[in-house]
Amino acid sequence: MADKEELTDWQPEIEEIEQRRLFAAQMGGEEAVARHHTAGKLTVRERIERLVDPGSFHELGSLAGRSEERDGKLVSFRPANFVMGIGTIEGRRVVVGGEDFTVRGGAADAAVGGKWTFAERMADEWHLPIIRLIDGTGGSVRTLEQMGRTYIPDNPGVVTMAKLLGKIPVVSAIMGSAAGLPAAKAVLAHWTIMVKDTSQVFVAGPPVVRRGLGEEVTKEALGGYQLHAYKSGVVDNVAEDEEDCFRQIRRFLSYLSSNVWQAPPRAKPTDDPNRREEALLSIIPRNRRRPYDVRRLLDLIADRDSLFELSPHYGRSLVTDFARLNGYPVGMMANDPMHVGGALDAAASEKLMRFVDLCDTFHLPVVNLVDQPGFMVGTAAERQGTIRKGVRALCAIEESRVPWIAVIVRKCYGVAGGGHGRHGGLNLRYAWPSAEWGSLPVEGGVEAAYRREIEAAPDPDQKRRELEDKLNQLRSPFRTAEAFGVEEMIDPRDTRPLLCRFVEIAQELVRTELGPKWRFGMRP
Amino acid sequence: MTKEGVIEVRAPMVGTVADILVPPGAQVMENDELLILESMKMHIPIRTPRAGIVQEIRVSIGDTVQEDDLLVVLC
Repeated sequence: MADKEELTDWQPEIEEIEQRRLFAAQMGGEEAVARHHTAGKLTVRERIERLVDPGSFHELGSLAGRSEERDGKLVSFRPANFVMGIGTIEGRRVVVGGEDFTVRGGAADAAVGGKWTFAERMADEWHLPIIRLIDGTGGSVRTLEQMGRTYIPDNPGVVTMAKLLGKIPVVSAIMGSAAGLPAAKAVLAHWTIMVKDTSQVFVAGPPVVRRGLGEEVTKEALGGYQLHAYKSGVVDNVAEDEEDCFRQIRRFLSYLSSNVWQAPPRAKPTDDPNRREEALLSIIPRNRRRPYDVRRLLDLIADRDSLFELSPHYGRSLVTDFARLNGYPVGMMANDPMHVGGALDAAASEKLMRFVDLCDTFHLPVVNLVDQPGFMVGTAAERQGTIRKGVRALCAIEESRVPWIAVIVRKCYGVAGGGHGRHGGLNLRYAWPSAEWGSLPVEGGVEAAYRREIEAAPDPDQKRRELEDKLNQLRSPFRTAEAFGVEEMIDPRDTRPLLCRFVEIAQELVRTELGPKWRFGMRP
Repeated sequence: MTKEGVIEVRAPMVGTVADILVPPGAQVMENDELLILESMKMHIPIRTPRAGIVQEIRVSIGDTVQEDDLLVVLC
């Protein structure tokens, strides 16, 4: 190397940048990486590489970390345990970042301050979607040793992360054990996905639980997918493995624009908008007690292969999907008669509220295929606070401004049935001939309203049947249509063409109402 | 759900047993209906996830069941 006096350019320093970057690329070192792989997990750099378009990742903060020098020369370098930057997904720019578990388990004591919050702030200022690949356990008591003191917790980044939810798509993918602040990051998202078996999320892990409650529990039982995607609803979707996780993330983002100031991106239409499926004519059984396959119903209506179900295992009486109609992204929901008759319970109410908020925020027109018997009844449902959570969801619907259409395919009863659309808006309803509706189903209503007459009759059962028959005649949807109580009755086979027409109309509206979601009142 | 060849068919939701469609000893194919659960006025067919022989029917018509209650055991 030439003496410093003879240098005319900055080549030596360029070489040092590259040298440091090479060190950083080694992450926690060969052994730590091998252990990580053996545990069935990819490194954060491998994950980013597989998630974004090949070669599109531009890293920021690659030089952050702790170096060791000898005689003025760099001999080792432990990178900060968070990797982040900008990449593209299907050509659209995104911010992506994740903890490096191979360096001190992704814990905060090996972090270099400001790196992960910078990623969040970048998404905020540049209006870019952000994907968090979470694989860190959060705070560690070692930080106290390093700092020589403690500190009042201030939840760094939370204010930015909360704001982001109103501006850009936020995806959290749980790819390891997440506790503490990483667990908070996991749920501060529009959509949370976790990888089966190799990821968990909890407030705190088994050691802390043992210490605090004396409860012995495994990581998986405390925070695995069986608990959080099926029972608690903390997590929306489950990935079979890490590759599936990246596929689902890309799929989720494909229905949304990069931020709330843009309309949802239309895919190239590949499916005839006028397609009429014969199966729709008979999919609803004439026997009112027989259920049907609601996912098949959605499949017959949406563009082929365009359905992406959100939260499939939670709140199962409601089915919520991103879908496309003639290439345009929409939010499609339907009630599942196979699960408690489609009744809206606390979990389904929560899912409904989040889905409506999501569609409204990102301007996805909502298609509601209604088969709603009413709120779920019984002590278990009451204990879960069904009425409050249900009404809260109804308020979310009323608050929404996104174009909305309802197709009543079967039942529409009660207060929950009243939540088929936004009464403060146009509230256009189409009905299939199989539709039936009311405040109360006739059966329960007769018992309640005519109890004295029934009890006083010589044959109470016959009296009840007579009354029910009389009222059932009034139940025909044609009578409601005559009074313009429903806007139109249709042949079920016409559903797809008319929904495609609605979505075209909705696009004009969406274009004039871009920007942040409008809010009113307070949710109960 | 299976453990060592035993298939436990559990209630996917709360409901009442409306009809039992197979007797003990019956040979069933994958997806055959075993019983009908009535939940919120709907008759939901409960199916077997795998082919097998009905060992035990743990419920009777009219029983109210909770989510995850054991309904039928097959092997």
